[in-house]
Amino acid sequence: MSALVLYQLVALFLLATGLYGFLWRRSLVAMLICLELMLNGAGLSIMAAAQLTPANAVLGQLGTLLVMGLAAAEATLVLAIVVVVTRRFKTSEMIAASELKG
Amino acid sequence: MEILARLVFGFYAALIVSGALMAVVERGLVRSLVGLIATMFGVAGLYMLMAAPFVAFMQILIYVGGVSILIFFSIMLTKARPTGDEAKGRPLRKRFNALVTALAAGVVLASVILKFPIPSLETPRQVSGQQLGEGLLGPYLLPFELISVVLFVAMAAAVALAWQQWGKSK
Repeated sequence: MSALVLYQLVALFLLATGLYGFLWRRSLVAMLICLELMLNGAGLSIMAAAQLTPANAVLGQLGTLLVMGLAAAEATLVLAIVVVVTRRFKTSEMIAASELKG
Repeated sequence: MEILARLVFGFYAALIVSGALMAVVERGLVRSLVGLIATMFGVAGLYMLMAAPFVAFMQILIYVGGVSILIFFSIMLTKARPTGDEAKGRPLRKRFNALVTALAAGVVLASVILKFPIPSLETPRQVSGQQLGEGLLGPYLLPFELISVVLFVAMAAAVALAWQQWGKSK
């Protein structure tokens, strides 16, 4: 197997585990952790595609940096949402927050 | 040299795999977070192996130094109990459904990757920090400015959301 395929398989593993955890875990913080796993996989895949093919390498590295910045912004917002949900429902688990009023 | 690269790749890949499994399987949130941090270090190592030291250090700075601290804060702020909903048993069918969904995505993409492999360079491309900086201030100026706007909006929105007295201060 070529190097690119190996890197892509590792990134794919991160995507699949993150997806499984995102569907299986119940607490919001654990779902955030699984989301970060998936975003790490995305960054790894972009980087491997840029560094190991004749494509534009600068664009690939900057794309990975963009993914990191978006992940940081998303983690900040999710932290605020988790705090609000905990304050309102007294728990940070999905079951309480998934019920509609009425 | 080739063998050494394969060995280092194997080490980082093992770190990533064990960290990701720990992050998903462990019930305690802090242990989950430790697994995530191991995965982040492994990914940073793979960036280093791909001759991208700048992005590797950014990965350690942003993910390990920033995002993991944020997640740790949210664990502390929500007082997650180890005996909560997470510890309760759930029907096996749900675990099966989640596993099938993840495996379906993984198997389809893996078969595409293995069936149509893209020819790969033997050695990674070399990109200097100067080239990255010229890219950021040249052709990719708009994404560079937009990400700063996105970060500012996210920070302001986080403060606005979590502000306890919002709307009742008058």
